[in-house]
Amino acid sequence: MFELTSSPIDPAALRTRLAAPEAGALTVFEGRVRNHHQGRPVARLEYEAFDEMARLEGEAIVAESENIHAGATVLCVHRTGTLQIGEIAVWIGVASAHRQTGFAACRHVIEELKLRLPIWKKEHHPDGASEWVNCTVEAGSNAAGDDTHARQVALPEIGPGGQARLAAARVLIVGLGGLGCPAALYLAGSGIGHLTLVDGGKVERSNLARQILFTTAEIGGPKVVAAAARLRLHHPAGRISAHAGDLTAGNARTLVAGQDVVLDCSDNFATRFVLHDACLALGVPLVQAAVHRFEGTLDVFQRGAGGCLHCLWPGRPAAELDFAGNCDGAPVFGPAVGVLGVMQAAEAIKLVLGLEGLAPRQTRLVNLLDGTQLAIERPVRADCPVCARLDQLKAATEQLAASDAALLIDAADVSALGLSARVIFLTEPGDDLSAPGMARTVPAHDLARLRELAADGPLVLACRHGLRSAALARMLRAEGMGAVRALAGGNPPAGLQSFLR
Amino acid sequence: MSLPSRKLQVRFFAVLREQAGCSSVTVESFALTAAALYAELQSRFPALTFPAALLRVSLNERYADMTAPLSAGDRIVFIPPVAGG
Repeated sequence: MFELTSSPIDPAALRTRLAAPEAGALTVFEGRVRNHHQGRPVARLEYEAFDEMARLEGEAIVAESENIHAGATVLCVHRTGTLQIGEIAVWIGVASAHRQTGFAACRHVIEELKLRLPIWKKEHHPDGASEWVNCTVEAGSNAAGDDTHARQVALPEIGPGGQARLAAARVLIVGLGGLGCPAALYLAGSGIGHLTLVDGGKVERSNLARQILFTTAEIGGPKVVAAAARLRLHHPAGRISAHAGDLTAGNARTLVAGQDVVLDCSDNFATRFVLHDACLALGVPLVQAAVHRFEGTLDVFQRGAGGCLHCLWPGRPAAELDFAGNCDGAPVFGPAVGVLGVMQAAEAIKLVLGLEGLAPRQTRLVNLLDGTQLAIERPVRADCPVCARLDQLKAATEQLAASDAALLIDAADVSALGLSARVIFLTEPGDDLSAPGMARTVPAHDLARLRELAADGPLVLACRHGLRSAALARMLRAEGMGAVRALAGGNPPAGLQSFLR
Repeated sequence: MSLPSRKLQVRFFAVLREQAGCSSVTVESFALTAAALYAELQSRFPALTFPAALLRVSLNERYADMTAPLSAGDRIVFIPPVAGG
C-alpha cells in the first residue's frame, strides 16, 4: 500500500499495521531530512507532489515490488509539505517470512521511488536562500565530475564522441537467460542510452547459477521486471524498458523498429527466425549467440551482407531444428553462456561505435572445454528466398532511382524540405496499425488519397522495403506532382521513427 | 586401380562431440564427399547417431554442401543446430 500524507509520519503506528503471525521479518527504511546537501547547509525542506500521479506511481511501484518479491507485504508513506531537520520524509516497511525478501523489496521500493515518483523538494538554506531540487538520483553521465565511463572514454577507439554515440543508442535484448543477463549488464555498463528487454519468463532457482542479474529474492517474479530494476541501479542515467512477454511474429517488427542493434539471446529456433527476419526486413544489425553445454556460436547478421540465417539452414523448419538442437532444461556450463553473452555485448558496442567487428558472414565457434575458437565463413545463396529477394527489391528501387535523380530522399534530409513536408507510411493488408509510429498511414492502393496529399505540398512516401513507395512516387511525379519523394531504404531507417512519433 | 586413401582432419561440434566422444580426430579415408565421410564416421563411432540431414559441414573454414568433394589434408567440422541460451 502507498500513501501520501501532509502530517508527521508515526513509525510505531505503521509498524503495527504490518504485524502478521507469518512474518518473521520486518524490514524498515526511513528517509530523513538532513542538514546538508552537496556541501551546503540546509535548514528545512518543502516537498511538493504532483498528487494524483504520485499516488498512482507509488501504488504501481509497491505492487511491482510485491510481485517480484513473492511473499512481501509493502507499506510505503511519503510526506508532503514543510519538514524540519530529522523529520521522516519517506517510510517503507516490508513484512515477509524471511529477511532476504524484506531487504530486497525495501531496496527496490526506495530506488524506484527516487527514480519515478513525481515529487520535488525545495531546499531552504540558513541564509534565507532556497531552491527546488529534483528528488531523483543525480543523473549519471551528465553530472559534472561523473567518472562512470572514464576508463573506456580514455580508449582512443571510444573517446567522448564514442561515449555520446553509446548514450544515444537503442539496443533490444531478446531473452534474459544465460546469454541475455551478462550481455545486458555490459551494455548498461557501457552507457547505452536505451535498453529494451524482452522475455515472458519468470525467475527460477535453477536460473541463478548463470543468469547473473537475478537473486534468490526475485524467484517467481517476471524476469524483465527484476532485470530492469537491477540494471537501473547499475546505470541510473540510462533508460530501461521492459516487455514482459515473448517475442512473436505479431510484435517482432514493432519491437525491432528504431533499434540500432538487436541481440538474440533466445533459446529456440522459432524465436531466432522471427527475430532474424524482422531485423533483416528493417535493416537492423542482429548479434546472435547460441550455446550447447561447453560450446557456443556467435554470428552477426546484417542486411546487404548476404549469408543470412536462411542461407545457413535453407528450407529447414524451425521446429525440426529445435527438436535437434533445443536446450530447454538441457545441461549447460555456466561460463559458456557468460562468455558468449559478453561477446554479444562487445559486438553490439562495436556496431554502435562503428568499430571493426566480427567479419561479415562469419560464424565463430567457441569451445570452453578445450579453449579453442574457430571462424567459419557463412554461405551466400543467390537463390535465398529471404535475403536475396530483399537485395532484388533494393536493386529494383535503385533502378527506379536511376531514372529520376530527385526521386529518393534520405531520412536525414527530410527536415530540409520544410515544416509543411509530411512523411506518409504506405500500409499493406495485415500491417499492425496500432504499432507505435503508425499514426500517419495511407493504404498503398488508395491512389486518390495519395494524389490529394501530393497536391498539398512536399510529401515523402515510405514503405516496408522501399520499392513500393519509390514506384508510387515515380508514378505521381510522372503525373506532374514533382513535390513527391520516396524515402530511401524502406521503413524504418531509425530517422523515420522520430518523424512519425 | 583403386583410389588412394587421404588424411583428413575432422572436428565435432556440440552434440556431435558428445556422441563421438572426442572433439577432433585425424582419419585415413576413401570418402569422396562430406556425406560419405560422415557415414564412415558413423560406423566407426556407433554412438554418432545425429541425422546427417540436419547437419552443417565446414570445409577448410567455409560452410559447404554435404556433397562437396574432399581432398587430402582438408579440415572438416561437422556442426549441428545449436539454440541454447
